Amino acid sequence: MKLHFNAVRANRGDWSLAAQGTFCEGMHLVSGDVGSGKSTLALMIAGLFSPTVGSIVSDGISSKMISMQFPEYHVTGLTVAEECRSWGLDSDPILSGINLNHKRDVAPLTLSRGELKRLHLACVLAKKYDLLLLDEPFSSLDAREKERLCEILSQRTGGITILFTHEQTCFPQVDHIWEIQQGELFDRGEMPEALTRWMHAPTLIKKIISSGKILKNISPSDLQEAVCRT
Amino acid sequence: MQDVRMRIGTATLLTLVAFFSLPGAVGVFVWWLLFTTRFKEIKRIRMVSGTLLLVAAAAVMISWTGGDGLSYLVRMIAIILIGIWLYSEQEKGEFLHLGVWLFGNRTGFEIGMIAEMGIQMAESLAADLDRIHMAMTIKGQKWGVTTLVPAGLILVSDALIRAQGTAELMAVRGFYNGGSLCPKFSHKRSDLISGVAAIAVGFLVFIPVSEFLILYR
Repeated sequence: MKLHFNAVRANRGDWSLAAQGTFCEGMHLVSGDVGSGKSTLALMIAGLFSPTVGSIVSDGISSKMISMQFPEYHVTGLTVAEECRSWGLDSDPILSGINLNHKRDVAPLTLSRGELKRLHLACVLAKKYDLLLLDEPFSSLDAREKERLCEILSQRTGGITILFTHEQTCFPQVDHIWEIQQGELFDRGEMPEALTRWMHAPTLIKKIISSGKILKNISPSDLQEAVCRT
Repeated sequence: MQDVRMRIGTATLLTLVAFFSLPGAVGVFVWWLLFTTRFKEIKRIRMVSGTLLLVAAAAVMISWTGGDGLSYLVRMIAIILIGIWLYSEQEKGEFLHLGVWLFGNRTGFEIGMIAEMGIQMAESLAADLDRIHMAMTIKGQKWGVTTLVPAGLILVSDALIRAQGTAELMAVRGFYNGGSLCPKFSHKRSDLISGVAAIAVGFLVFIPVSEFLILYR
């Protein structure tokens, strides 16, 4: 299973984004500043935005899903339970898992942004996809929910998962790091070597590396283990 | 046409001219060809094509029941073209200026503000509809008659939530009624020419020019 970017360029007025490279199976982290083009890249891979030049070729990918940054963009059901069913899911286990059973009959858009994000992510992560694109999955989540999401994502096996985020505190275990800088997607490589080349690395990760400690990965438990190591 | 007062006056006159007679509709079409940027202005082609389809269907029905469907179609197309021109030339905030100019800082300000909010809401609804369509595509649902009803309900519910948010924000910021604004309008020389041309089209249709010429002879 592979995803190839062949000299892709997307233009929006004066702004542009160039991408070249191949995404193989595993967990990929695409980082970059706000407005750098992460969402555009995600939409291009999902086929919802066409590149101006170049092509994105998928190899062996039969199912894909995108989770957009704003959960309300996904709402098509009139109630919370109906929203679960619109994803082809049984509402009971989904709502029990995120403690929203008592709100099953309310309109999804009346939920708080955090609740709606929880509902949306529960629906997206309930199925297996060959290619899963998660655009800012941590936004609107509290610290506990972020950690829970990291655990779920770290346990994910098979397929290509691409995480587009500018998150600085909480990550799942990743296999590969990419970075968008000055309108271009850069391949920082496999973990853990990628960490030394990661320009947008969070301050804590940079400090751990500069103190001479070796990081295996960037999940909360990996960071904790590295910090506590003597 | 930069001046909203002239634009609305011109659009009202041309709409009446096109509606009341077939030669008027032809005159309006000629005016549209001469004084607008024509199809470059169309912002939302789907909305226009949908309206044209509805008008065409009504024209077919009129012809089928013995009426002059063709005349109706031509007149309505002329009106739609004027509507497209009016909408595409619209600038943010100008209805607020128009409202205050017409009815003053209290009633006029509120009418203008409601008009501005209405236009803003219409644009948000169009964007929301695109998003719902995209969400359905992502979920593998088909876009059709059965999905239109829930989509419409979501749109209305979203619009009401947004309106409530705006109302609360205004209340928090201390809005009570009316406002203070010094209305400003700008216009070019070409605005005057196109305005006079619209009046000329109106004269040609409503005043029996041919009879006047016969009498003169």
